[in-house]
This record gives sequence, structure tokens and C-alpha cells, in this order.
Amino acid sequence: MGETTTRSLGLVLFLAYAALIGWLFVRQPQTMAQVTGGLSAVIGTYKINDQAFADGMQFFRHDQFVEARLALERADPAVRDARTQFYIAYSYYRQGWGRLYHDDRLYAEGLTVVDRAIALAPERRLIVDDPALGMHTAEELKAELEAGMRRDLSDFNPMRVFRERK
Amino acid sequence: MTAAREAITLPIVFLTVTLVGGLRIGNPTALVPPSPYLLLLGVLLIRLVAKSGALAPERLLASSRSELANLNGLVVLITLWLAAAQALAAVTPDSGVPHLAAGAFFLVLLLNTAAAAPDRQQLLRSLAVTFAAAFVLKFVILNGLSAPGDGVVKRGLQALVDAVTLGALMQQVPHPLTAYLALFAIGLFLVGVLLLPLRIPSPRGALTRTQETIDIPSRD
Repeated sequence: MGETTTRSLGLVLFLAYAALIGWLFVRQPQTMAQVTGGLSAVIGTYKINDQAFADGMQFFRHDQFVEARLALERADPAVRDARTQFYIAYSYYRQGWGRLYHDDRLYAEGLTVVDRAIALAPERRLIVDDPALGMHTAEELKAELEAGMRRDLSDFNPMRVFRERK
Repeated sequence: MTAAREAITLPIVFLTVTLVGGLRIGNPTALVPPSPYLLLLGVLLIRLVAKSGALAPERLLASSRSELANLNGLVVLITLWLAAAQALAAVTPDSGVPHLAAGAFFLVLLLNTAAAAPDRQQLLRSLAVTFAAAFVLKFVILNGLSAPGDGVVKRGLQALVDAVTLGALMQQVPHPLTAYLALFAIGLFLVGVLLLPLRIPSPRGALTRTQETIDIPSRD
């Protein structure tokens, strides 16, 4: 191999390796699935597991939220699909919702996931056309989760017991 | 130095140090970039390496070299800088008084070594001892003090140290793999420094003659 070729190859290798390291520092993946899934997403080949997603949706519709989350997390092991993350956040909302009080811990988890879903969505705009849901955008879900965690006078309004879960 | 070593081996070695040195295995696992202070110490370390002759910068960047070769040389210098900072970060305790003390210790040690003006061999030996000492301090002594004790005596001693130092010495105990990764990172960094293009002192006293410029006269 000629010297110019070696030097050019070295430069290309350096750029690719440095880009990979920069990506790892920014994304902070936690598992190998997240690394490989993230890299697949960068080159546009990432695809969720449809069967696991369908299983998750079935659990979700039957209010089995813990099971739904397990299946949805299996569907999107790399945490790269905005719609799947939206449903995971929604499962936290529905599980944490209560007529008299909301579960702050579940709402906080939901808020973390919905923020992730927004970050993953193209142009941060996420709309899910699902007639079974009361909220169709990530913004609505985020606002609802934030409102549920806020302490204000409306918490003492007795009429809140008539509110419906979305 | 061959073009392959300069263009491929050294950047890959130093980038690997940058990656592995920043890896903190745990829950959650994190990749920690070097702090600005350690980047500054990295500059000091490079200056020291160059001053000792372990690195001849003129063999990486020079007007007599082609643009592509100079670009490769610049890549080596940048990755060396990042790796130096990250190697220091890998053996710096994460928090509290030990974190501050290690920062001051590295600064004083680098300045002291610079004042002593060591040659390449002495510098490499000094770096190995410095990194090994910091590694033992972080991963053996401080971890031993901070790890949850399984015996009554250890727990008692731990409580005593914790009370006397007001918890300033206690560290979060990292995953055991983190120590191996740190050891790998500092070992690889020293190998990288060993592979750098060195300055060969001239027997006639010239200051900056390099391997490439030395003519070996034939016996004929």
C-alpha cells in the first residue's frame, strides 16, 4: 500500500472512530442493544420488533401496564422509536392515574419517557392516531403528567373525583 | 516512524484510551469526558513528553511534510492530548477531598517532573510510577475504605474513618470492571507514548536531530 493511501485510510479511520466515540459520549447508551440499535438508526435501518409491539398493545388495552411496558421495551430495545416510547409513557400515566390522587413516582417515570419520545420524534413533533387514547400528542401527555405532579389548590377540589382518565 | 504507525496505529491507540478511560461501569453506565482542568494537565503532560524527547513534534508537523502528512501529525497530537487527559481522569477519584487532592498532586508532580528535565526513559518510568500510584490510591486504598464491610472490625473501622473525616474520603464504589478498564487505559496510553516519534540526541551535541536525519556512515 502506498504512503498516501495509508495516510488517507488513517484519516478516514480516525474520523469514523472519533465520530463513534463522540456519539457514544453524547448518547450514553446503557446496553449493547442500545449501541447497535442507535447505530442502525443513524444509518436508517433500525426497526422495532412488530410482534412484541403488538403484544405490548394488547396488554396496554387490557390495562396490564407492567406487562405492556415489558413487551414494549422488548419491541424497542435500543430506545429509538418515538411511538413505542409514547405508549410506554402513556402506560405510566394510566397506571399512575387515580380518582383521588396520582402516583407521583409513576408520573415522574412517565415524564422521563415522554421527554425521550419527544427527543426521538422528527422535529420533536409526535402525534399518535389511536382512537383508544384520550391524548394524541406528546405535548398533551407531558402537560397531563406535569399537572398530575404539581401541588395546587385544584388538588382539593372535590369535583376532581368525577374526572375521567384519558 | 512508518506512515501506518503515524496515521493509523497511534490515533486508534489514543482514541481507545479516550473511550475506555471515560467508561464508568455501573447503574447507569456512563461515559465521562475529561474535565477542563484535566485537559489543561494534558497540555502540561504533552509539553513534558516533548521536552523529554519522547515526542519530536517536528516529526509530526513541519513545512517540509505534505499536507496529508501534517494532517496525520495533527491528529496524533490532538488524540494524544485527549488520551493524556482521559488517562489522568481514569485514575482520579470521582469526588470529595481525594478528587481535589489528586488534581493538585498531578499538577505538582507534572511541574516537578518538568523542572527535573528527565530524558525519555526517565519520563516513561516516572509516568508509569505516577499512574500506578494513582491507580493504587483510587482502586485499592479508597475503594477498600469505601466498600461496604463484611466483618464487624471492618465496619467499625469504616465508621471511625467516616466520622473522623466527616465522610470526605468516602467514594462511590465502582463496578470491579472499571478498575480493569482503567488499568487497560493507562497501560495503552503508556504504550502509545512509547510509540511516539522520538527525538534522538546527536552525539555531537545538536539539540534536535531526528532518526530520519542521522546518516550512518558505511565502513567502506
